[in-house]
Amino acid sequence: MVTRVASRKPFAAYGFRIWIGLLALLVAQGLAGFARQQISGHHVTGLTDTTPWGLYIIGFVFFVGASAGSTIIGLMVHAFGRKDYERLATRAILVGFLSLAAAVTFIAADVGRTERMFLLPWYWHNPTSMFFYTSITYYMFAAILLAELYYTVRLTRGSTDARDRSMAKWLAILAVPFALGVVHAPHGALFAVVKARGFWNNPLLPPHFAVVALVSGTALMVLVTVATSWLKKSDLVGKSTLAHMGALLAFFIALAGFFDFFDWLVFAYSDKAEGVIAWDILFGSNVMLSVVHVAGYFAAFVFLLYVLMRRREWLVPALAAASVVTLVAVAAYRYNLVTVGQAVPLLPFIPRSHYSPSWTEISIAVAIVALIALSYSILTRLLPMEDAPPRSEERAVASGGLAPAGGTS
Amino acid sequence: MPRYGMVIDLDRCMGCRACMEACKVENNTPEGAFWMHVFRFEEGEYPDTKVGFLPRPCQHCDNAPCVKVCPVQARHMQEDGVVLTDFKRCIGCRYCIIACPYGVNHFNWQPPEDAYYLDWDDADVEKVTGGAVPPYLNPDLGKPHGDRGTLVAGGGHYEGVTEKCTFCVQRLEKGLLPACAANCPVSVFSFGDLDDPESAPSQALRSKQAFRLKEELNTEPKVYYIGQPPPASDVRPIEIVSSTGGE
Repeated sequence: MVTRVASRKPFAAYGFRIWIGLLALLVAQGLAGFARQQISGHHVTGLTDTTPWGLYIIGFVFFVGASAGSTIIGLMVHAFGRKDYERLATRAILVGFLSLAAAVTFIAADVGRTERMFLLPWYWHNPTSMFFYTSITYYMFAAILLAELYYTVRLTRGSTDARDRSMAKWLAILAVPFALGVVHAPHGALFAVVKARGFWNNPLLPPHFAVVALVSGTALMVLVTVATSWLKKSDLVGKSTLAHMGALLAFFIALAGFFDFFDWLVFAYSDKAEGVIAWDILFGSNVMLSVVHVAGYFAAFVFLLYVLMRRREWLVPALAAASVVTLVAVAAYRYNLVTVGQAVPLLPFIPRSHYSPSWTEISIAVAIVALIALSYSILTRLLPMEDAPPRSEERAVASGGLAPAGGTS
Repeated sequence: MPRYGMVIDLDRCMGCRACMEACKVENNTPEGAFWMHVFRFEEGEYPDTKVGFLPRPCQHCDNAPCVKVCPVQARHMQEDGVVLTDFKRCIGCRYCIIACPYGVNHFNWQPPEDAYYLDWDDADVEKVTGGAVPPYLNPDLGKPHGDRGTLVAGGGHYEGVTEKCTFCVQRLEKGLLPACAANCPVSVFSFGDLDDPESAPSQALRSKQAFRLKEELNTEPKVYYIGQPPPASDVRPIEIVSSTGGE
């Protein structure tokens, strides 16, 4: 039997209205900041000719990564037969789509001529520009996610049409390689192809970006799952599914740490001025961000392993804490990546530049995140999110999925 | 078709920055924007130190990274090799600033009316200048120029777009030298067709050992330096370049 989650009065709860009101206020203050930026120009930001990319670009790459990484849930359901993830499918697609929307909104805030931005790639184009290429991928990825959302919602609403199931399956399977290989890795290339910036000009940056996308996307979905279960006061998925998500997150963190370690090892041995200066910045003015990045990954990884192997009773709070710490660490990584690449002087007689985001930038960035949270909060009330209570672990295993990581629901 | 380039003789440069002033007057660049910049730096160890100068216009690279990365082809190279920005097309993404190895680009961070030194339409503007220097708004800048016949010469200095040295495209079309080359008191700049062996830059290149900035990046700049070796990587800037590219 299919359960329609959306009630007849989806916005009736008092707490929900306060939450929406708070988000609306944050969006409104950001709109005021955006209006100020449009009227007075980008000089109200902390950006300069020596550091032309800042918080908006950091937000952009963070959310593109989260968007790509969240598609992993669809892969679990349809490619690996993990039916226990099915209740997260619609939510994951929505998180992916809204993260992509957040990324594009950050770009809209960043460019000097927002009104011209949407002529790209339809009217104006340059095939040698990575920016042109990535702009095409947003539309394609958004189309895939919307189509996937359409078919998944139909299935959630009780459709038994084989075509709906087949389309949802193949779109979910297509979404992962597309998100990582066609959308997110090229965002790494956006930086990696810039030969003027030695800190970025590295062929490993695109795959590194793809791995960090998996980290942030999985962490975001873990956080969404735990938070939703807590708010609904009922488990969205079973404990073993949560444990499996935790194990996945730990694996992706280890993979990202592997890339970080060898990146930094090469920098430590670099005798080139650019390498020495970049190292000096990473462990000088940006040391707090470097510590948050490395210690965040390390703490989340060790904590997850400890809880998964020894303390299953801590699983839910541990996952919540690890996912938050991981997201903060990824944000620190993105911040360092974008700013250190620009802080290294282009010519020896130019001093190092320093960037601090202005309050206008911060207010607009907060508003974009609030807008996405607002959209998510409303859409999850309007769209059917789950089709049944958590399925038993036995059924997941019997359906040919991966063995659960352990525990019971 | 000529292939315009510039040769800068560092032996002659005395760091007077008349080129920067000439550029500013010709192109009416807003406050903080210097399409031509003369860097002043110190090199060597005490007591064997010396001061060096390096004028840096746009390098107008044959293999220009800014042209490659511009998503909308606002940044483009003309047939004569001059690299220009189409101000009606630029979306202000600043990828060109990121990609340029020479830091020559300036983004118009604020509306031009706020960034100009003077309000050109103010009736009292002559009083402000004391009448010594008549306010001068170059009428050529707002006209279409170049291969595309569009706004490429910096007229208006539109907010939210990136701009840079144009080799004074509006002067080239009249057969004049760029303002920096025309106004240098000690003839540091030789400007002309690099493909013509008898042109001033070709002759200057034959006279002394030449280098180009960051040649290892294969950007193929059309600006050459002669008279001094390239600045070492450990030179010390004398002035702090401000956030907007000025001082």
